Amino acid sequence: MEHRLANSLIMTVNEKKFIESALLSDIRVDGRRPFDYRNLTIRFGSEDGSAEVQLGQTQVIGFVTGQLSQPYRDRPNEGSFAIYTEFSPMADPSFEPGRPGETAIELGRIVDRGLRESRAVDTESLCVIAGKLVWSIRIDLHIIDNGGNLVDAANIAALAALSTFRRPECTLGGEDGQELIVHPPDEREPLSLILHHFPVAVTFGFIGKENTVVIDPTHYEEAVMGGSMTATLNTNGDVCAIQKAGGDAVSQTVIMQCLRIASVKAGDITSKIKDAVESYNTQRSLRKIKRHNPDQQGSSDVAKRHMERLTVGSDQSGIASQFNEHDKTNKRNSTLKGFSGGPASWDPYSKGVDGDALRTSLASRVAPVDKQKEESSQVNPETKSNPKSSETNSIALTHEVGLERKQSKSLKDAVKPKHKRRNKSNAS
Amino acid sequence: MEAKPSNLVDQLVVPGDVILDLSNMANQTLKLSGGLRQDGDSICVMKAGKLRFMKPNKYWVESSQKRYVPSAGDNVLGVVVDTKPENFLVDIKGPALAFLPVLSFEGGTRRNIPKFEVGTLLYVSVVSANPGMNPELSCMDVNGKAAEYGVLKEEGYMFESSTGLARSLLSSPPHPVLEGLGKKLSFEIAVGINGRFWVNALQSSTVILVGNAIQKSESLSLVQQKIYLEKLLKSIHSRGCKTSDQ
Repeated sequence: MEHRLANSLIMTVNEKKFIESALLSDIRVDGRRPFDYRNLTIRFGSEDGSAEVQLGQTQVIGFVTGQLSQPYRDRPNEGSFAIYTEFSPMADPSFEPGRPGETAIELGRIVDRGLRESRAVDTESLCVIAGKLVWSIRIDLHIIDNGGNLVDAANIAALAALSTFRRPECTLGGEDGQELIVHPPDEREPLSLILHHFPVAVTFGFIGKENTVVIDPTHYEEAVMGGSMTATLNTNGDVCAIQKAGGDAVSQTVIMQCLRIASVKAGDITSKIKDAVESYNTQRSLRKIKRHNPDQQGSSDVAKRHMERLTVGSDQSGIASQFNEHDKTNKRNSTLKGFSGGPASWDPYSKGVDGDALRTSLASRVAPVDKQKEESSQVNPETKSNPKSSETNSIALTHEVGLERKQSKSLKDAVKPKHKRRNKSNAS
Repeated sequence: MEAKPSNLVDQLVVPGDVILDLSNMANQTLKLSGGLRQDGDSICVMKAGKLRFMKPNKYWVESSQKRYVPSAGDNVLGVVVDTKPENFLVDIKGPALAFLPVLSFEGGTRRNIPKFEVGTLLYVSVVSANPGMNPELSCMDVNGKAAEYGVLKEEGYMFESSTGLARSLLSSPPHPVLEGLGKKLSFEIAVGINGRFWVNALQSSTVILVGNAIQKSESLSLVQQKIYLEKLLKSIHSRGCKTSDQ
């Protein structure tokens, strides 16, 4: 019995009375006004699709991963997504490890409903082969610290992680055109998910007999409040979801007032998320440009020549057309050879590199990789009916290993043609 | 003969540091308190923190944690969580709930047992705290008088802090932020060494201001605390002028 008592939040009579009386003078215990949010910080991890959100004391980490799987029978050309929540025991003494409790399931349901019912995530673009292969996205939300208002923080973490998640590009190729090739991130730029809008959750707490409304309650206020309501809205003015599970009764006018306030707050939060995602994306593209390996002298000459051409503006159109030509040959080559497409065959600046020497050095490394490809491609038609992502991953892995051995990479490897002009303006 | 204090007094020490080598010192009695251990001829540190020395011969290590380890003689702020026939179960932020016997009040008899509801805030003293057992509390001082112990008023708000901040609030010279605010605002405060302090004032805004200022000043150095205090008092003064004009 003592153990159970020690786990729950122990509130004094003073705290309850004080929170209610302070609200009568429009002030909250941490100095906020009733409709102020706490400080929101959004940080991203090193991998695409991971975000950490801090809302005051509350900390939530969102992580998005994708896997190829079979679609549901009634929706053969739509991908799927699922949300998993984990309430870490280090977040709060009342969280127990193991099966998710009531609040964990409710939080997962609110975030899920906001994304699914409003069709924020475009599931049709996740289809690869209709009826056979689709991407299934998994969103994991880990609660690291419970400072109150987990729903809002978890929702923001899910949105931020979804915005930065990239899935590998898949094409149909192979000898008979039926084989699925999952391109590793080195070869083809991974694609981001299509998000039509951002459903932002805003939580209100109703405290006291007069039902004073506070936004973004702390965990002390949550222990004292009589009821709560979560409204999920987007900046277009759509109400995506409302959650009011039990608690004190609230009048209609209060609910309408809450929704109006929520739409304003949703706009603020959406702009914050978008700013954070944009800065992450620019950092990411800057990192990709710097991926140029200075080991091979030939490729460094290539880089110099590339920089020279960047400064000369008149050459822009010339380079663009040249690259487009090579891109077409690149696609043809990749479908014919499978994965052996390396810089030697589609590097537009191969004139600057001794192509023959490069090819012979690569050939000695590519040969064993090619043999593995042949074996795996033979295995592929057999297992085509039940493709498992582990197979495609192993193919991707062997290719990645092969690519790592090849050291000659130019700046062009990292940059897609349509982004070229934007990056040039950055570089110049 | 007075012992020469160790070189490391008032400095940060970590577990493993040897603060004294007894082979060099002649017959002396030293009193070692929390965080120190005698290992043959050397006195080593077991807990990270600041080494303190009090004349003539007391050494101990002071550190700040979020959790409290009960020890006898401490004055703490407790919250009643349950009532039993013999004791009140009180939470004092320690590893186990503490027992407050129903008769440990001034003039307490079986007939006038106080009625505390769950969530009552008390200022109590720790009588005994043996490891592995529930600590025992009392609302009386050594002489059996109530002194300052007992229920705190039902107004005000209780803030949480670390044990280090609580100790600095009780130390003399007084905590700069506390002293500075005390000169300008009127409020009352009760500090428990277990990392809790209760603030009460006529206006809720004063309570919130004092509580948050003290909590935020913990991570600031002395100089930064003075600057923080000045800024805070200026903003209070300007706000006070505005309201008086209205």
